[in-house]
Amino acid sequence: MLPILAAHFLAAAVAPPLVGWFGRKVFLLLAVVPLASLTWLAAQGPAVVDGDRVEQDVPWVPSLGLEVALAMGPLQWVLALLVTGVGGLVLVYCAWYFHADEPGLTSFSGHFVAFAGAMLGLVLSADLLLLYVFWELTTVFSYLLIGHDPARRGSRAAGMQALVVTTLGGLAMLVGILLVGDAAGSFRVEDVLASPPTGGVAVTAAVLLLAGAVTKSAVVPFHFWLPGAMAAPTPVSAYLHAAAMVKAGIYLVALLSPAFADVAGWRETTLVLGTATMLVGGWRALRQVDIKLLLAYGTVSQLGFLTVVAGTGTRAAAFAALALLLAHALFKATLFLVVGIVDHTAGTRDLRALSGVGRKLPWVAVLACVAGASMAGLPPLLGFTAKESVLAALLDVAHTGDGTGVPAYLGWAVVAGVVAGSALTAAYTLRFLWGAFATKDGVEPSTVTPPGAAAVVPPAVFAALSLLLGFTGGPLTTLLDRHAASFPAGEHAPKLTLWHGVNTALLLTLLSLAVGLLAFAARALVEQVQARLTTPLSAERSYHWAVRGLDRAAVELTGRTQRGSVAIYLSVILLVIVVVPGAALVAALQDPVRWVRWDNVGQPLVAVVVVVAAVLTARARRRLKAVVLVGVAGYGTALLFLLQGAPDLALTQLLVETVTLVVFVLVLRRLPAYFTDRPLHWSRHVRAAIGLLAAVAVASFMLVTGAARTAVPVSDDFATEAVEYGGGKNIVNVTLVDIRAWDTMGELAVLVVAATGVASLIFIETRGMAIRRVREIPYPVSVRKQTTNKSRRVWLPAGRTLAPERRSIIFEVVTRLLFHAIIVLSVFLLFSGHNNPGGGFAAGLVTGLALLVRYLAGGRYELDEAAPVDAGVLIGTGLGVAALSGLAPLAFGGTVLQSAVVDLAVPLIGELHLVTSLFFDVGVYLVVVGLMLDLLRSLGSGIDRQILREERESRAAAPTGGGA
Amino acid sequence: MSDALVALPVIVPLLAAGLSLVLVRRPSLQRMVSIIALVAVAAVAAVLVVRADQDGPQALWIGGWPEPLGIALVADRLSSLMLLVSALVTLAVLVYSVGQGMVDEAESAPLSIYHPSFLVLAAGVANAFLAADLFNLFVSFEMLLFASYVLLTLGGTESRIRAGTIYVVVNVLSSMVFLVAIAMVYSATGSLNFAQLAGRLDALPEAVALLLQLMLLTVFSIKAAVFPLSFWLPDSYPTAPAPVTAVFAGLLTKVGVYAILRTQTLLFPDSPLTTALLVAALLTMLVGILGAVAQSDIKRMLSFTLVSHIGYMIFGVGLATAAGVSGAIFYVVHHITIQTGLFLVVGLVEHRAGSTSLLRLGGLARLSPILGLSFFVPAMNLAGIPPMSGFLGKVGLASAGIEQGSTLAYVLVAAGMATSLLTLYAVAKAWSLAFWRTPQQAHETSLAVQQDYQDAPGEERQRVRVGSASYGRVEQQEARSIHDDTPDRDLYQRLQDDDLPHHRPRTMTAAALGLVGLSLLLTVVAGPLFDYTDRAAVDLLERTPYLEAVLTGDTP
Repeated sequence: MLPILAAHFLAAAVAPPLVGWFGRKVFLLLAVVPLASLTWLAAQGPAVVDGDRVEQDVPWVPSLGLEVALAMGPLQWVLALLVTGVGGLVLVYCAWYFHADEPGLTSFSGHFVAFAGAMLGLVLSADLLLLYVFWELTTVFSYLLIGHDPARRGSRAAGMQALVVTTLGGLAMLVGILLVGDAAGSFRVEDVLASPPTGGVAVTAAVLLLAGAVTKSAVVPFHFWLPGAMAAPTPVSAYLHAAAMVKAGIYLVALLSPAFADVAGWRETTLVLGTATMLVGGWRALRQVDIKLLLAYGTVSQLGFLTVVAGTGTRAAAFAALALLLAHALFKATLFLVVGIVDHTAGTRDLRALSGVGRKLPWVAVLACVAGASMAGLPPLLGFTAKESVLAALLDVAHTGDGTGVPAYLGWAVVAGVVAGSALTAAYTLRFLWGAFATKDGVEPSTVTPPGAAAVVPPAVFAALSLLLGFTGGPLTTLLDRHAASFPAGEHAPKLTLWHGVNTALLLTLLSLAVGLLAFAARALVEQVQARLTTPLSAERSYHWAVRGLDRAAVELTGRTQRGSVAIYLSVILLVIVVVPGAALVAALQDPVRWVRWDNVGQPLVAVVVVVAAVLTARARRRLKAVVLVGVAGYGTALLFLLQGAPDLALTQLLVETVTLVVFVLVLRRLPAYFTDRPLHWSRHVRAAIGLLAAVAVASFMLVTGAARTAVPVSDDFATEAVEYGGGKNIVNVTLVDIRAWDTMGELAVLVVAATGVASLIFIETRGMAIRRVREIPYPVSVRKQTTNKSRRVWLPAGRTLAPERRSIIFEVVTRLLFHAIIVLSVFLLFSGHNNPGGGFAAGLVTGLALLVRYLAGGRYELDEAAPVDAGVLIGTGLGVAALSGLAPLAFGGTVLQSAVVDLAVPLIGELHLVTSLFFDVGVYLVVVGLMLDLLRSLGSGIDRQILREERESRAAAPTGGGA
Repeated sequence: MSDALVALPVIVPLLAAGLSLVLVRRPSLQRMVSIIALVAVAAVAAVLVVRADQDGPQALWIGGWPEPLGIALVADRLSSLMLLVSALVTLAVLVYSVGQGMVDEAESAPLSIYHPSFLVLAAGVANAFLAADLFNLFVSFEMLLFASYVLLTLGGTESRIRAGTIYVVVNVLSSMVFLVAIAMVYSATGSLNFAQLAGRLDALPEAVALLLQLMLLTVFSIKAAVFPLSFWLPDSYPTAPAPVTAVFAGLLTKVGVYAILRTQTLLFPDSPLTTALLVAALLTMLVGILGAVAQSDIKRMLSFTLVSHIGYMIFGVGLATAAGVSGAIFYVVHHITIQTGLFLVVGLVEHRAGSTSLLRLGGLARLSPILGLSFFVPAMNLAGIPPMSGFLGKVGLASAGIEQGSTLAYVLVAAGMATSLLTLYAVAKAWSLAFWRTPQQAHETSLAVQQDYQDAPGEERQRVRVGSASYGRVEQQEARSIHDDTPDRDLYQRLQDDDLPHHRPRTMTAAALGLVGLSLLLTVVAGPLFDYTDRAAVDLLERTPYLEAVLTGDTP
């Protein structure tokens, strides 16, 4: 079975290009796949009738209990024959139906064949989860096929409607399958049938499974999607929405009825909804003027009928259900294909405009009449024998319950409903035949072009089968019996035959036919009644109402949550912190918390300063003020580090604060002096309160967690290990470049991207301009050129590039004197860092400050003079050095970032105590210097340039502005 | 030292980032370096997957310090798998962006900045999966966040800066909260190493441990975009360049999910918070997907589905059963692949049609069948249509929920199905409008919308509707932008003027299709993959494999 499935999907994959190249003839070729499958399936017939199940298993996801398990019993065999047979012949029909230049035909071919494969897989699945896989695939391909002509709004809407409704049911069914699988311990159909769930789970599962079935099979109240789906091309309607896909729900009901029929809710649901569907569908079919829609409603009606029979769950009903299903597929496929012929040849499907088609297409009319007779249940057709067996089965249920326990009133109501439904069926069948083929008074005869053989052969085959199978009740009975055997024997042994003798079933059939004939004859009257009987309750309207409501609710909800305001998002986060961990805080505070107020009096004093500075920062409206206050808070923190006994941290913090201040000031040149000039909003009080709450919460968290510690912190060992293993006395530095060097490497990467990011925002396209040395720069016009002696030394080479009023000779002199000293200091910090305060980070910052001074004294060209390198190269080298120093120890048999202590005796200098982590620290140094250079280049020089450019532009614009 | 392999996924991209900065004026070399680095990472990750599966968690103590002192990296089954998937995905995105750089020369994509930032992002993501130390996890977050700040504001256009502001501010706050959480953990336990913490947290008073757990959960929930900490995401992701959005959407939130998964299982077993997690998962799913339904821009819509589907993963974590955790891991793998792939495809749409707004698009399926296929398949996968990985992940989670059997779990199963349906609805709507409807219809509809918008009085302007695509207060900005950007031409007008790119973005398409292919491959290998995630989940819940691998008891 797997090969025929695979062949379908393979054919689907190659179909689009083939159709693209060779046109619609390819459909004939594609038809070979299902027809060959049909042949193979037919060959399995004897085995299936003998009761041998054909099985095949391939594991897929054992953890989920999902396997590609295929099996074929009589039920599956009949459906597989239908799926492949109808599929193949409809493909043949397609070769005639479509115009050669039909848009979208390539993808259509793929979707159609893939659908056929999915449908075949659905009926062959022996695993419910696998069945669901194919089930949803049919939904999706149906969606694509309905939307074959996507330019029509109606097609799109119908596709969406079918997709949403059937997936809704499908998902419910999936949960049902999962419940059943959980209860049975397996998704295998045979296991589920062997050990069906019991109790509440069974009822839930039954309802959920039925939800899948009724949505798929367009049973009330989900029937409305099916007529909408008629937006699809007629071959699709004939195959998917008449013969194949809509049967999936019926198939599921028939498949699971042996296990579920006795579960509370199963019979009630199927009988009531099925009967209602049969009546609603039939009634609405009588109202249609589009013959395709008429058939669509007819299909809805028949699906309701099938649901009733399949859901009854007695041996006779199971037998009859399969017979009816077969009959329906054959006559409905014929009728839809006939509609396609009429539509294409006469150019309309409106029965008010069609006239005289029967005379011009007599053979087509004959086929339609045969199929119609089968639909109405006339002998000697399969429709008749099937319906007789249905009535017999239902009458048994009504009389005695036939082991179902269905109360008599329900049983009789169903029989009455079915008879009424059959009457409606007879009436709309007549309406259809009359509408499509009759010659009507006062209607201009339609012009008809004769159809090709490919159009007529498929419906002819189906019609012939409807007729033939009417006479082969005997063999069919054997086959259907095999299927029904899974039910206990009932009141009578079901049998398909043209003559049962005069019994209740036959009388009821005659009654329904008579009423149907009458209803057709009095169609004018019926139409009047229909026009008057309008109901405000419409499933389709409810669907639209629900979808609109959903859209609207989505918009409202999203509008409420997604405010696009940073303040609100931050408030939410802070509130969550206050409320969520805060809840645990309340419990944690139950225990008394002991705490040390301070270690020395300096701490609270500094803390007060920091807090006040922080509060004032939040209140500041001037940016500069805020920046200075942040600086105060930062320096205060540095002081706190110092008071805690961490000079190294304090030094670093101090340098960072200084650099930050300077950078801020550089940036502030380009920002308005005030944060906002809008009046203060009252909401700031709320925000302040939230901030305060968060602060209190976090402070309490720290208090509680600090008090809870009993374990010895790992850092206690740092002091001894840093010296013994790390070879350095400065614990902070050893921590940074060795114990936790991996963190430092990460943070280096952070610095690298931060620098890159700042540069990218200022220079957008490339990092910085090419570096220009002073000697390449012409004197600015504003500066009077002095003839310089080559040998003459200047304090700062780029000083001349500044406007005279911006120069300060003293500053230049001091800079010149200090610069190299600072650089030497920074190198000292770098090398001594392992044992004394310092290290690569601090050293880098000091170098950066030296560069900053050069920049401030001599302008942007001076910066380039001082560091004529690309900052990116510096940063990149730094990161590279750090990373390589991490990898290098591997070459010496160490591990990543492992350091070694090397004591060298160097002449002149003496004993040198070298720890290899120094290389890592050099990387750190380079990155920090590069970062500083990048910041100065972009926020200093870059902004200088922008300011200059704007000045130039405004100068250039000024004369015209003045003239206006 | 073979353990060193564990460090390579971080150190190699960092080395490459350094190299790439040095090679700033040699773009072709830069590209080569980046690609080689990520290929190497993927290869190492694959080796780690095999090793972790066969020999147990691979632990490395950096620098060879005595055991609890230094920093440890651990690649267990979960980490290695995450590493492998993220490496493949980043590689695909890199290839895509290289392609984009070559195609969109006019936009002068600043590749010199892009490559190093992207590599640092990759290193950060890798480190987050490997970190066995809370502070080191913080560092990883900083790496990927800083890189993401740069990538998000690439090009510095106004909308990107505006979106970037929300993103940066929210994430800076979340980083701060993370630091506070770390300080709390350290002050309560005196340790940051996961394995050591696992032991020490047990010794704490229950309330304090709960406090720490909630604090960490809050922090990671911001990263993972769990409701109500998710609002920032859809406002910031969609504006970035397509490959950037793609990699953010695929990986960054998953790092948060990973952190939740890791800390909840390793540090807080027998969590009292499973109910809370399930409720958060429920709200995340539903609020997120309703957000997606309300969108009229494909990128924004996908950003909301991203948030929503985070709910699935939290659902699995919240179940706290082996099946639930396994389902969550599988779903993470699926979702990384599919969400990244979809965003890349949407990038192709943007490239081809000049917009991702459903108001401006139409007829794409006919214009480019390949584009249609490469959107439709992953979109259906996202919606959980079988037999694709989204379906398998959904089934894994749902059956875990049913197996667990609590009422709340059933509610979550139902909500998961509803989310699945609404995801399908949202993507089908996008398909219907952007791919099916003709460009002309799109043009006429959007003209009508603009007219309605201009005619509508104030408050009502926000409620203008087109077909089933609707605009609410959220969409003010959107509606305003249709209004403001009238001079911008939609697809119809571009077609009329024959103003579409003729250049076929082959590399981009190949990269996007590669990811789509990878997501389909997940279906084929679902059997072994689910077995693997089952084993990973058992490891996580047992804890001992991890603990024993990290704390061997002997100091090197």
